[in-house]
Amino acid sequence: MINFNRFSLENGLRVLVHEDRSTPLVALNILYDVGSRDENPDMTGMAHLFEHLMFGGSKNIPEYDKPLQLAGGENNAFTNNDITNYYLTIPSQNIETGFWLESDRMLELDFSQKNLDTQKNVVIEEFNQRYLNQPYGDAILKLRPLAYKVHPYRWPTIGMDITHIENTDLEQIKKFFFSHYAPDNAILALTGNITYDLAYKLTRKWFGPIEKRDVQSRNLTAEPSQTEERILSIEKDVPSTALYKVWHIGSRKSFDFYTLDLITDLLAGGESGRLHTKLVREKKLFSEINAYLTSDIDPGLIIVQGKLMKDIDIQNAEEAVNEVIASLQNGNGIAEEMEKVKNKFESTTVFSNTSILNKAMNLSFCELLGNPDLINQEVEAYRKVSKEMVVEATGRYFLPSNCSTLYYKSTRKDK
Amino acid sequence: MNSLLRIQPLVFPVEKVVIPEAKSFRLNNGVPVFLIEAGTEEIMRIEFTFRAGQVNEYLPLLASTSNMMLTEGSRNYSSEELNRLLDYHGAFLNLSAEKDRAGIVLFFLSKHIEKVLELSREILFRPAFPEEELNSLMKKRLRWYMVNREKVQNLALDQFFESVFGKHHPYGHQAGEQDFDRMNPALLTDFHSKYYTPDNMAVIISGKIHEKTTGLLNYYFGDITSKNIYTEDSENVLKGEKRKKVHIIKPGTVQTAIRIGSSTINKRHPDYSGLKILDLILGGYFGSRLMKNIREEKGYTYGISSSVSSLDLTGYKVISTEVGKKNCQKAIDEIYKEIRLLQSSPVNKDEMAVVRNYMSGEMVRMFDGPFALAESFRSVWEFGLDNNYYYKLSEKIRTIDPDEIIELARTYYNIDDLYEITAGS
Repeated sequence: MINFNRFSLENGLRVLVHEDRSTPLVALNILYDVGSRDENPDMTGMAHLFEHLMFGGSKNIPEYDKPLQLAGGENNAFTNNDITNYYLTIPSQNIETGFWLESDRMLELDFSQKNLDTQKNVVIEEFNQRYLNQPYGDAILKLRPLAYKVHPYRWPTIGMDITHIENTDLEQIKKFFFSHYAPDNAILALTGNITYDLAYKLTRKWFGPIEKRDVQSRNLTAEPSQTEERILSIEKDVPSTALYKVWHIGSRKSFDFYTLDLITDLLAGGESGRLHTKLVREKKLFSEINAYLTSDIDPGLIIVQGKLMKDIDIQNAEEAVNEVIASLQNGNGIAEEMEKVKNKFESTTVFSNTSILNKAMNLSFCELLGNPDLINQEVEAYRKVSKEMVVEATGRYFLPSNCSTLYYKSTRKDK
Repeated sequence: MNSLLRIQPLVFPVEKVVIPEAKSFRLNNGVPVFLIEAGTEEIMRIEFTFRAGQVNEYLPLLASTSNMMLTEGSRNYSSEELNRLLDYHGAFLNLSAEKDRAGIVLFFLSKHIEKVLELSREILFRPAFPEEELNSLMKKRLRWYMVNREKVQNLALDQFFESVFGKHHPYGHQAGEQDFDRMNPALLTDFHSKYYTPDNMAVIISGKIHEKTTGLLNYYFGDITSKNIYTEDSENVLKGEKRKKVHIIKPGTVQTAIRIGSSTINKRHPDYSGLKILDLILGGYFGSRLMKNIREEKGYTYGISSSVSSLDLTGYKVISTEVGKKNCQKAIDEIYKEIRLLQSSPVNKDEMAVVRNYMSGEMVRMFDGPFALAESFRSVWEFGLDNNYYYKLSEKIRTIDPDEIIELARTYYNIDDLYEITAGS
């Protein structure tokens, strides 16, 4: 059970505090409700580029990292489709330095041309490193626009075309900042060796004076229901052929989320998951196979992906995947497997919440979803999933007409 | 808003860490056990570690394959049953085979201690090494290997170890495709009976330690005896290759991986703590010289880092980065420039303060929570050292002066000794 308190400031900043005296450290997490889904289709990759710019100095502080390091702190950040999340951990006596740094970059960034030019290069190298210079690295770049035709989830966080990053200028950067970085668009979480009173006092002192901003409300066109099976086949110089299959699901807040999460755990949770047992161990069709949910806030995807063993025909492999999924519907032997994945989920949750940083991130994200108590309710929600719900959801979501398939074929003779 | 109000808060010194000492005892058969009581949740971490790493192998892949086959079936359980039971009890098992040591680490809810120990005994001391599972594992591993060999960072790192330690030493040899055909159950059984023995073993436990732990450990592990099989020490000597620069051609890649470094002292050497600080300044944190220059100033890369690592027989230091092909030589030149600068100009007061404080904060993080404590314990224990290593490091962080850093850079970063490995198109 994670005990926490919440408050909010007049400027709209929402704050959560969880005290844990067993550590000498404090974690400070600040979540901005902006991700790549908020980008203009002609200017993708902005949210992520922006994350990089946030370390290049702010209104009153020329350099972010140095004062934090001087105070014994460590930090990082990530961006995804939905959010941009910044975090630091610091010995508790220096937590005020964290407030000073984070509030100053919420107040205003130092929009420097030099920083923008450098970070564009850094992001281009990041794109090369992650997507172009890795075998199968571009698979996700092909899958997204296959599954999404309208919704901004059709492009990846790094951007759909790297020229968008190259062409960005300071004016666009400033506009992006003032329309998304604001106290009324952020959630602050403090966990670890800090009292509620101190957190309250320091939040008012440092974030209180920042004015509310005109944050545009989000108005995204929903992805229309898919009605026909979609297939894309590409050929690449990679060692093995790979198979990717995705199905549309509901939003992170939908009733089915935990059922689907449990289904992917039955399929691929650990070494004893059905896909691994049947297709890697028994039939030896795949060298590895995985299944997971994208966990996006707007309607997301179930992804099944695997790499084939040598000389295996991709149609046979795909058929075998479909059979394993269909086997969930007959319900045979499922009760013990369900108990197993429920135990594992509980244990995963307990382990995740031993870290003050994870607790801070989870609290912020649950608050964004509209229910901070979710952090203590997820195990229960997952435990409530019944065999009938699994059978029903399998039948409803894993339909060919709801599926997009990518055949990522190896061109090598000895594949 | 009035910026005068935004005055930088005072920074307070980070207190010296106080590290809880591990309690130790021996099982009935003499196996050492270390207990670190920590944390607030009812969870535990148990590590079983053996001197069964690559350094002991007489064929490439033997140590890692023996380790990976531990969970592929035992006297009383099939591989499927082992995996299912571990999952059913919410336990996480990590297999590990490193250059010197190998073993397993388990994370679980303390209440499942008995089941976890029972399964651990099966996994560690009663493996069946079934042939069919072995063949299937080797086929899978070959596929993974082929995917890994597509990545320039792996090509460069494998070559780095070969160049620095020599292709005939187990620290340096690179596995090739043909090695995946050479494993058989008899080899694994032999390796296992020589190295997965009580004489070679230690147990490190941390978390909220269940009261039954000691008794159960003795019950499951205390009567296992070593077979006293004579093992010869390897006659291979560590000997770096003559060629200092190697480029591996990987057509079609857009970035080149760079690995620059050499063998060096390890944790047992009195200069090691100073070398750690020097390494941090060069490339060990986000504010390092290499990051500032090559990423934040020039934008040549997404990341660049340096590290110093200890092995039982030696140590090594390596600078790692991936850069766009056209900037490769420029990045290499800048790396050497930064090393020369550390050899010739004293680090200024400002930077020294950042380094001292950042590292002091890192030391707090190294001992925060049961898992971090266990890892920090193991990484000195395996060198025959104790927490004094950390207290001395902590003292060195406070007292090292810029002249000493110059001296260390001259002694340990002789540019003529460094290997320069690149992989790219």
